[in-house]
Amino acid sequence: MVVGEKSHNKKAQIKIQQTAFMLLAITVFFVLVGLFVLVFKVGSIKETATILEEDNAMLLVSRLANSPEFSCGNAFGTSKVDCIDADKIMALKESSEKYKDFWGISNIEIRKIYPTDELNIECDSFTYPNCNIIQIKSGGLVGYSVSNFVSLCRKESFEGSPYNKCELAKLIVSYESIQ
Amino acid sequence: MTNKKGYLQISFGWLFAIIVGIVIISLAIFFVTKMFKTEGTLQSAKTSKEIGILLNPLETSFESAITSSVIFPEETRIYNTCDNFGYFGTQGIEIMQKSFNKWAKTNLVVSFQNKYIFSERYSEGKKFYIFSKPFEFPFKVANLMYITSASTNYCFIDAPEEIEDEISDLKQPNLKLEEECSEEDVRICFGLNTCEIEVDYDAKKVEKGNQAMYFETDALMYAAIFSDKATYECQLKRLMQRIEQLSLIYMNKANSLTTKGCDPVLNSYLSGLIVSVSNLKGSNELYTMNNIIDEINEKNRGNCRLW
Repeated sequence: MVVGEKSHNKKAQIKIQQTAFMLLAITVFFVLVGLFVLVFKVGSIKETATILEEDNAMLLVSRLANSPEFSCGNAFGTSKVDCIDADKIMALKESSEKYKDFWGISNIEIRKIYPTDELNIECDSFTYPNCNIIQIKSGGLVGYSVSNFVSLCRKESFEGSPYNKCELAKLIVSYESIQ
Repeated sequence: MTNKKGYLQISFGWLFAIIVGIVIISLAIFFVTKMFKTEGTLQSAKTSKEIGILLNPLETSFESAITSSVIFPEETRIYNTCDNFGYFGTQGIEIMQKSFNKWAKTNLVVSFQNKYIFSERYSEGKKFYIFSKPFEFPFKVANLMYITSASTNYCFIDAPEEIEDEISDLKQPNLKLEEECSEEDVRICFGLNTCEIEVDYDAKKVEKGNQAMYFETDALMYAAIFSDKATYECQLKRLMQRIEQLSLIYMNKANSLTTKGCDPVLNSYLSGLIVSVSNLKGSNELYTMNNIIDEINEKNRGNCRLW
């Protein structure tokens, strides 16, 4: 009778051990599945966020030239579409810290393309207007970028009286992919 | 007969498996519910951001107003939030969509600094109209966006001719003129009628639910018509914050143009404008700025105009 009871106990112990191992295996399995789903989900969220950033940059670049901080308004005669006031942009550059999150993009660059210059000279208070790249934020373009053609106008003077000068430029908006 | 057992005999293995099974199933249900909620929040965040992005093409150039529409697959509430922190304040958009016939609350607000949306605290429906109009005070400050649900019709009664022309040119289906109105429409009266919204165009005042909002320019009049008082006053303050920053930019520009033969005559007026906008307590004080706005408009002429 005692021998029979002992073998019964051993069998039960083995069964409990089996169940415990099985449970452990199931838990590990579910944790792995959960991790896989999480990685997949996070990946798709990042992708969606990057697509939204891209959409924002693309739609913004087509209309940014008309926003009050950029547009020529009537400062150069009649009102013009896709016309950027270079003098205003140089003034905006000085407030770039205030505007750093304003448009929800990484950076904005205006690159003069005609008449062409051989050298790339960034505009600042010393080089303006003899320069061809205006960056709203310092540090250049980061990540991806989208662009639009615009006219870049400024005031010049001849014998002490002002006149308007417009050139062809590219407005470039850059955005970063979500890491 | 005496050996009869009156209880269910379950072995330890079975009992253990049942308990663990219940735990595993409960955990699975918990995580699935959590994921479902997260998915809803994500969808809401994505939609809010998309609405903000879709507002970008509504930046006007020559146009006096543009209209556009957004359609959602589900019944949707667009919550409009606003604050005045920082240099420009923040426009918030929160989306709530119906899930299993219940509004799924997310508490996720997507923020923009360069948008000014005027609407009720929330607008509800599947289709929404967005109408945009530039606000100039005295220079272009921003494009104001007015969001209305397609299920709410607004009827303009006795409106001035220029307002009637603008409404009919817009061709936005939920903005109607007197002859097209029905009983259920929200009536906006410009005369002496008793309506849900009353506009005193000469006193530049909009009365809505016993609350008065004051305006200058038609862009702000529409803003007062389509939004609640809290939203209107908050967005007005944000517009004043932007005027302040734009004035500083124009002052910088004026200084830089001195070398090109232009006198910075506007700078003292722009300084005055900055003081006025920063001291503005509410829309009821807007009229105090009329003099300085007229003076600035008068001075901003000729070959050296700033905007």
